[in-house]
Amino acid sequence: MALLDVSDLTVTFRTNDGPVNAVNGLDFTLAEKESLAIVGESGSGKSQTAFAIMGLLARNGAATGRVAFDGTDLLSLSPRQLNTVRSNQIGMIFQDPMTSLNPYIRVSDQMAEVLQLHKGLSKTDAITRAVQMLDAVRIPDARARVSMYPHEFSGGMRQRIMIAMALLCRPRLLIADEPTTALDVTVQAQIMTLLGEIREDFDTAVILITHDLGIVADFCDRTLVLYGGQTMEEGPTAPIFADPSHPYTAGLLRAVPRLDREAEVLRTISGEPPDMSNLPAGCPFSPRCEIARDHCPTVKPGLAPMTDSRHRACHATPAEMHEEMRDG
Amino acid sequence: MLAYIVRRLAVAIPTILILVVISFVLMYAAPGGPFNSERPVPPEVMANLEAKYGLDQPMWRQMVTYVWDVVTRFDFGPSFQYTDRTVNDVIAQGFPVTLTYGMWSAVVAMVVGVSLGVAAAVRQNSVLDYMAVGITIGAQALPNFVMAPILVLIFTLWLGWLPGGGWNGGQWEYVIMPVIALSTSYMASIARITRSSMLEVLNSNFIRTARAKGLPMRRVILRHALKPALLPVLSYLGPAMVGMITGSVVVDIIFSTGGIGQFFVNSAFNRDYAVIMGITLLVGVLTISFNLIVDILYAWIDPKIRY
Repeated sequence: MALLDVSDLTVTFRTNDGPVNAVNGLDFTLAEKESLAIVGESGSGKSQTAFAIMGLLARNGAATGRVAFDGTDLLSLSPRQLNTVRSNQIGMIFQDPMTSLNPYIRVSDQMAEVLQLHKGLSKTDAITRAVQMLDAVRIPDARARVSMYPHEFSGGMRQRIMIAMALLCRPRLLIADEPTTALDVTVQAQIMTLLGEIREDFDTAVILITHDLGIVADFCDRTLVLYGGQTMEEGPTAPIFADPSHPYTAGLLRAVPRLDREAEVLRTISGEPPDMSNLPAGCPFSPRCEIARDHCPTVKPGLAPMTDSRHRACHATPAEMHEEMRDG
Repeated sequence: MLAYIVRRLAVAIPTILILVVISFVLMYAAPGGPFNSERPVPPEVMANLEAKYGLDQPMWRQMVTYVWDVVTRFDFGPSFQYTDRTVNDVIAQGFPVTLTYGMWSAVVAMVVGVSLGVAAAVRQNSVLDYMAVGITIGAQALPNFVMAPILVLIFTLWLGWLPGGGWNGGQWEYVIMPVIALSTSYMASIARITRSSMLEVLNSNFIRTARAKGLPMRRVILRHALKPALLPVLSYLGPAMVGMITGSVVVDIIFSTGGIGQFFVNSAFNRDYAVIMGITLLVGVLTISFNLIVDILYAWIDPKIRY
């Protein structure tokens, strides 16, 4: 059985302009110890997918569908039941480490309360475990620094603390929502290396949410490309990068600057990110797609298997796509 | 921290001296004097009176004498209005009364205001929230000179539960209505400040982290959100505390409590220079003290603030 089985996940926000869907009928699964990248531009619904899994949607948001974690539908749990899963079974780290820790509480107390709550540890034992975990994420001099406040650490260090805190209960799934976006490039590399090691050491399944294709290639077993809250293409990372089967993925990859090729003009995807309150009835990418057919905006392409492990949602066949995109 | 407090207290001395100078200048700039009355006093009598109270001296000399007496003997001079009492007597008699109902008002305003504000924020856009907002708007709009007589009407004249006035050594029946009349508008302000700052804090990233940790909502609010949400309340509370513990004219007059609130107005009407100065200094010293206390509490709550 899959560790996480998301089916028909829809996230809707009530706004003054009427309901807006951030995620539209998303399906995916994640096996034990597997790592999945959810990739997309801002507004593609990737973070809202993570929040929906954790029950952290904003007040005006609601999720429907099914999010089965180890067979239990998280969406149907009461807040109290959900709290026994959060951090205990599913850990989460966030985009902005500068603001994700409580600035008014010592790091030791913030970390200890997780273990006191979920594992019933005494405060002293909890702090000992917290120090071990800070050592594991390579916070120098963790024993002395654990009693400091968050503002006494740099951004990279704070993200390490967040990672350590998310792993305290040895969760089976770690959701990392753009963990490196707010960090310097050098620090980004360190954090990604750390996440990779931790995945090995802790046997944790990982969902990595990012818009940065560069960090996905080395890190994740599988990749899911999200646009307009829908899956464009999904499958093992290497084949998707080597041979994208969806015009959006192809466009994204073409927009990554390469150093190993002759400098040419960097190709971008034309148009704006989608207006989620006004998506076309058909393929959400069709307004920006350079090979869109007449029926693309009106007829939704289903997510269909391409090989055993790959799925894609596009009216054009991969062969047609390659042919036409080369011309464009 | 200690060095900071000493420094702040040192700065307080020139602040108070400036307060004395400005008050003196304003008092003398206002027309009339303590001994002007409807029937003119004969000039010789007036000269004698002025000589007795030192009013025949130039203003700078009066100021120096006043400060000297206060500093060396803690003597704030005689009241011009109540000839048999000194300013020390007036304050010693009235201030304990206002301090009592003022402190109770502060407690009530804080406890009720913060609870109401937190509850409204946590249940934003619920019936509870709309009720809380409605109550606070009503409480702020209703002036206490309207509210105090209504309280008397209900609790004294209709229900007969509480005495309509007096103090009686601060027995609880006599304290309740002054406290309600004084605390209500402060309570409303505190509730509104708490609500809006709590809403802001609840939307912050570290609250999302706390929820992702699986903490029950109660703990998220009390342990993670309350402290930062109270910081704006604390800033408001400094001056508000001074306002409450120095009482209110309306409360003192309507409930005949005998507090010093009424002297704010009476002494100014009567040109009772010494009482005006005494009360001004009291309020000045209290304001400086409470601002310092607020700043110390700020440092205690927010680890980023270090003096």
